[in-house]
Amino acid sequence: MAAEVIMPKVDMDMTAGKITVWHVDEGGWVNKGDVIFEIETDKAAMEVESEAEGFLHFRLDEGNEVPIGAPVAWLFSKGEEVEGPVTSPENLAEVVTVEKFEAPPNTAFFSIESIEGQRATPKARKLARDTGIDLTTVAGTGPRGRVQALDIEGHSANAPLSSESTEGPLAINHSKVGEGDPIVLLHGFASDALSWRLVESVLENLNVILIELPGHGKSPKPGLRDFADLVSHVQKAFDALATGRVHLVGHSLGGAIALALVDSRPENVASLTLIAPAGLGPEVNGDVLHGICRANEAKSLEPWLKLLVHDESLITERYARLALRSREDPVLRAAQLSYANILFSDGIQAFDLRAELVRVKVPTKIIWGKNDQIIPWQHALQASGNMALHLFEDIGHMPHIEAAAAVGKLIADNVENGI
Amino acid sequence: MNVEGRIASREISYAEAIREAMDIALSSDERVVLMGEDIGVYGGAFQVTGDLVHKYGEERVIDTPISELGAAGVAVGAALTGLKPIFEFQFSDFAALAMEQIVNQAAKLRFMLGGEVSVPLVMRFPAGSGTGAAAQHSQSIEAWLGHVPGLKVVQPATPEDAKGLLLAALEDPDPVMIFEHKLLYKKKGHVHKGHYTTPIGTAAVRRTGHDVSIVATSIMVQKSLEAAQTLSSEGIEAEVIDLRTIRPMDRESVLTSVRKTGRLICVYEGVKTLGVGAEVSAMVAESDAFDFLEAPIIRLGGAEAPVPYNPDLEKAVVPQVPDILRAARDIWSGRI
Repeated sequence: MAAEVIMPKVDMDMTAGKITVWHVDEGGWVNKGDVIFEIETDKAAMEVESEAEGFLHFRLDEGNEVPIGAPVAWLFSKGEEVEGPVTSPENLAEVVTVEKFEAPPNTAFFSIESIEGQRATPKARKLARDTGIDLTTVAGTGPRGRVQALDIEGHSANAPLSSESTEGPLAINHSKVGEGDPIVLLHGFASDALSWRLVESVLENLNVILIELPGHGKSPKPGLRDFADLVSHVQKAFDALATGRVHLVGHSLGGAIALALVDSRPENVASLTLIAPAGLGPEVNGDVLHGICRANEAKSLEPWLKLLVHDESLITERYARLALRSREDPVLRAAQLSYANILFSDGIQAFDLRAELVRVKVPTKIIWGKNDQIIPWQHALQASGNMALHLFEDIGHMPHIEAAAAVGKLIADNVENGI
Repeated sequence: MNVEGRIASREISYAEAIREAMDIALSSDERVVLMGEDIGVYGGAFQVTGDLVHKYGEERVIDTPISELGAAGVAVGAALTGLKPIFEFQFSDFAALAMEQIVNQAAKLRFMLGGEVSVPLVMRFPAGSGTGAAAQHSQSIEAWLGHVPGLKVVQPATPEDAKGLLLAALEDPDPVMIFEHKLLYKKKGHVHKGHYTTPIGTAAVRRTGHDVSIVATSIMVQKSLEAAQTLSSEGIEAEVIDLRTIRPMDRESVLTSVRKTGRLICVYEGVKTLGVGAEVSAMVAESDAFDFLEAPIIRLGGAEAPVPYNPDLEKAVVPQVPDILRAARDIWSGRI
């Protein structure tokens, strides 16, 4: 059994340490008492000696900041097979934070707001005054929880928009009529049913049903309270299908919703395919989501779209223009911005479906691109032993677009064979 | 303004544009004289006066002794008694030697003599770093003079403005201080032919944008425009304002832009503390444009240190394009 090498606590106030230099190469032999790496804390730099012997593998890179107690490498005894490290989800999430997402040091996540003094930009204060909104009821998305103008705008969007656009059933499109239990596809945040076009063309002779999320595509745009509220809207649409069992496929936010649906309607789901799903950890690139919601021009949308994929050449100016066309409706954009403020406030995922993932009983595949810049692919490592993981090199957050043929085939496999 | 003359333009350098302005002034107004060290046969430390001495003679293109205080006193006296001197310092840093004449005499005489006289004096200051001339020849001291009521202080950033502001300065009854960045002298740009003026006290919007206002002076205008181009490819549209005059400052242009963008970055080469950016920031903070701010203001100015000789350090002590990019990304993404 491999032994963990952990980040030690070397002084009272220390919460994390930075690996500055390794003294042992990947795969090198370590004796008990050898100096294996050096760390740096807020106060000091020091050498760390090994408490065991073995071959050193899976070193975290130099420069990583690691919480105390979290593993930084593993020691394997002689003759032991070198296998991927078994990481507990808590540690993984934290390690991933420092590897993939350098959160600004002043994120509101960690700050304790004083009750009497609310941070707000002058512009936000003016907007709040002009529109009669009580600033203390607005969740700020700026540094240290500062309320910004867009938060006020988003807040106004939370209020009923207009009756005909906020109510009614979600848009459901039975796009392909074929054999067997239908495949229900749930798209991601700020996307719509069109994003499944490439995958659909791979799913031959199968039943495909597309549901558009509230505030997306042709669906109504109700104000949302929280993630559960969002799920209840989709669940109504799901229940209305009345088709018995379906194969559920969800991308990103749609993946998180799919997990919630499986949890509440286990008897109605035959298989589950999650593509870069949300809900499996706090990290998410909130800048991109807000950036997409705020973009008024193709030129300002394009750079954000490029972060969704690995191969940036896919995002041409024309593509950005077309993408913007489907986001022309300012009410849709305002609705999505307000959802972003609720679902991804302060640049974190404000909902957690890790418990639901553990409870999943149906055949499940998790598909992820290893160059995902929106949600870290390492969230996938929480899959249980009887789920299938499909990790694609050189693919970003949109495997169903960048690797449509492969993803389509994986969905079909799951539908036909159950993983 | 000569409308016909303005129609034709061609590319000439900043230094040539200044020489052309002085040529026009010397030929059209016999009260105009040039004064300065080595501006005659030598053509000026930065070759701005060039061969004007051959055209107008030593009576009107006057080489002065190496005494800035003495020569500036002569210039103030000449201006008081009917001439219109254009006085060149070899380096703006040497203005320190002439401060008595500039600050205590030229700037104050109109007020102290009940408005009965004025001092129509133009002074030109080759300014700024980037030439490897070290601490005593590389400063940007425009804010020193910007602090003195009675003076007007301009900083042309383009050849067109270098000519237009100099000709405007000559029409002004009061002392006008012109800070010319040494690295701009060889920069070329479109300059209209003939006589025209660029109004003192007006800023120019060099690029429009709705995401962040970059208020810059002198060579920082070029750097800001360069940064704005890169920012545009990232989806950030910067508005670049060339302040042109730092006293009196064009308040409305700055406030209008900030009301639109809600974000302000000031970029200037002078020492950051108590400098041009402080004035611009305070102007916004004291106005109704305050209500439109979406982020704290950022000032990018010169380091709190004498300009070093080492070329890498010399670059490091003044704002460069990557500094502007970083500031704009920070202010846009809400990282500050």
